[in-house]
Amino acid sequence: MQDARVRLGSAALLSVAAFISIEGACAVFLWWLVFTPHVRSARTRSVLPGMLALIGFVAILIVISGGNGFSYFVRMALVLFIGIWLYAEQTPGDFLSVAVWAFGKRTGFDMGMIGECAMQMAESLSRDLTRIQTAMKLKRQVWGIKNLVPAILVLIHDAMIRAGDITELLATRGYRNGGSLCPVFRTSARDLVAGICAICALIFAIIPVSEFFILYR
Amino acid sequence: MAVPGMRLFLDRVTMERGAWSLVAGGTFSRGIHLVTGSVGSGKSTLALLMAGLCPPVRGTVDRDGIQSWMLSTQFPEFHITGLSIAEECASWGLDTDVILRSAGLEISGDVSPFSLSRGELKRLHIACVLSRQYDLLLLDEPFSSLDCAEKERLCREITSREQGITVVFTHEQSAFPRVDQLWEIAGGELCDLGRVPDAILRWQYAPALIKRLVGVGRCPSNLTPDEIQEAACRMHGYD
Repeated sequence: MQDARVRLGSAALLSVAAFISIEGACAVFLWWLVFTPHVRSARTRSVLPGMLALIGFVAILIVISGGNGFSYFVRMALVLFIGIWLYAEQTPGDFLSVAVWAFGKRTGFDMGMIGECAMQMAESLSRDLTRIQTAMKLKRQVWGIKNLVPAILVLIHDAMIRAGDITELLATRGYRNGGSLCPVFRTSARDLVAGICAICALIFAIIPVSEFFILYR
Repeated sequence: MAVPGMRLFLDRVTMERGAWSLVAGGTFSRGIHLVTGSVGSGKSTLALLMAGLCPPVRGTVDRDGIQSWMLSTQFPEFHITGLSIAEECASWGLDTDVILRSAGLEISGDVSPFSLSRGELKRLHIACVLSRQYDLLLLDEPFSSLDCAEKERLCREITSREQGITVVFTHEQSAFPRVDQLWEIAGGELCDLGRVPDAILRWQYAPALIKRLVGVGRCPSNLTPDEIQEAACRMHGYD
């Protein structure tokens, strides 16, 4: 999907649709099958099993406590699929462009920059985690619960240092608030169809299925 | 315990990243090997590959008789898994006081390794790495961030390693340990230049001083500062 506005908007609508109801989740699944490259991207494949296992664990706890764990698993899995698709498709500058387009060069620029920093941080955390795992492997340490706490502390420490560096850089360059940017978007016909279908998925999730057949009652 | 016949064999190993590629073949046997090449030539990638941390696109890496190995990466912070120096030393299974003495650092073990300068952290890391014997020791840019005195001290320590295979990957131009075999990465290929000192004559991108010495027929017997100095003295007719 080329247009970042349609991509972000669709992701927001589809996440809500999948979360609201199991019908919405089914509609989102269809949308995901049609408009995304599924889990072919290496960026998505690496995180998917772990995240699904985590959702599955919570779903089992819900079943044990008498709730509808299956519904939770399906809905959250679809939210996860959409999130992973968005993350894989995102390119540097997308958040900034969309936020400036939507909210202007002051508030929008600040919001977009926060979004970009968050994305950059997510990338850095992923790289740091790989680095720590490699370091532990070199030290003949087994990656497990025992090493998890120090690893997380090192990750947080690295993230804090990086945030401090970015803050210093912005201050050094005289940043106060807002900025100048003229975002350019390329919208394909497929983008528009995908966006409209995302809106339909949300409508399908909000309105009960029986309402669609009201004329036939 | 080092195995006498140990060797690391690269069978036409190929690494690719976009338009960039590196082909490496050859046998690394017991002794000290120097792999040289310009920045971006693929030294770090080759080190990762030899450590088994990066799979090749084609070819195989065979480690005959190698029971233990260690890779020291260029950036010392990449090895940190502890929030204090004591924790970091413990993660290597080493005694903090011994390591701090060995690194020549007069600081407390409670200090965060992140608060050290890059040079101090490099010294701490190198001290941890060199405190143990490995059958295969891969040192990626071990001299980066070190001052001249520390570089010389590290060269002496590497030279004193008598067991196993030690491979030093560097673009360093002035500080070298005593080397047994010389390798060069040029034109996307790892070239085995052979045993030192003969290999020095075939060293295409040798440091300027060594090239000059070779040019006037005064090839140093090895690459340590003493041997280069000795060759330079011969050039000027001193004994």
